[in-house]
Amino acid sequence: MVRYKRFAVGVLLLITGLLAVADSSVVVRDAWVREAPPGAPVLAAYFTLENPGSKADKLVAVRGADFDQIEIHATEIRAGVARMIALDALPIPPYALIKLAPGGYHLMLHHPRRALAAGMSVKLELRFESGTRLTVVAPVRRAEAGTAHHH
Amino acid sequence: MVTRKTLISATLVAALGVILVLGYLAGRSFREPARAISIAGMTVLEPASPLPEFRLHDQSNQLFDRARLQGKWSLLFFGYTHCPDICPTTLVVMRDVQKIAGGKEQGIQYIFVSVDPDRDNAATLGRYLPYFHPEFIGATGGQGELMRLTRALGAYYESGEARNGNYEVHHSAAIFLIDPEVRLRALFAGPHEAAHLAQGLQRLKGG
Repeated sequence: MVRYKRFAVGVLLLITGLLAVADSSVVVRDAWVREAPPGAPVLAAYFTLENPGSKADKLVAVRGADFDQIEIHATEIRAGVARMIALDALPIPPYALIKLAPGGYHLMLHHPRRALAAGMSVKLELRFESGTRLTVVAPVRRAEAGTAHHH
Repeated sequence: MVTRKTLISATLVAALGVILVLGYLAGRSFREPARAISIAGMTVLEPASPLPEFRLHDQSNQLFDRARLQGKWSLLFFGYTHCPDICPTTLVVMRDVQKIAGGKEQGIQYIFVSVDPDRDNAATLGRYLPYFHPEFIGATGGQGELMRLTRALGAYYESGEARNGNYEVHHSAAIFLIDPEVRLRALFAGPHEAAHLAQGLQRLKGG
């Protein structure tokens, strides 16, 4: 009996382990909000999305109580002209690393409801097509030379 | 016969002369910019292109016209304050250029021209610009005056469609370098690197 029990536990552990790998959902890292001039009507948030699993997912919406509205955007420079493109969703293919960074993908944060300065932080809820919801705490930071680059 | 021979020789000599002169000119015009364009993203205009008269107003509601560019080197960028990503990113780069190349004391000024005059005015620019640097100049004006300036610089802007009560303004990503004789001297295509901008500016400015 003891032997069977041990075996059953082992099998259960194995199954849950496999399920965890198959189910591994998108991870958010290094979220931050760029400090904006006082009274600026819009701010930008950046982070890295990592998909460790074999299933594609999509970032479909972001909510945050500190802003009137949050949109997923891409800055595109075509023929020397910078355009902001509003995206319905940001695809995250299997095993992909998607970087939101100055000059590229970003969240557009409309009309902050309180004055935000470096040292403060905001809560953002990221909603994915898979149903996953992740809440991240993004510190507000002053952009320095090192963070203004985009490659 | 003699006259014909002379004519042929004269023609040959003249043709050779023309070829030599053209070759010299071509060689020179190829060499000149090649020396300056060695900086990534920088295009130097040969000859520099003079700017027309234009009338904008700065964040103190002072007239910002051609005369304000005279006798200084100016780095100019078009944008708008409802721009969350590329405009602050570029202004941070300009702030870094200021750290390297200097500002007023070195005869260099940094200008942000808003191409969104419906939402930006002296007051909004006055709140926005000092955050990046207290010396930075913000200016805007009527569509006609903005068009006059952008057209002269080969710049572009256009308001996008309104969505959820907001609209984007598409605009040139380049930073324009205007010389003390108020001529467009060079432009830098994005993405911008402060070190490259400072180097290009210092090379043209000399000293």
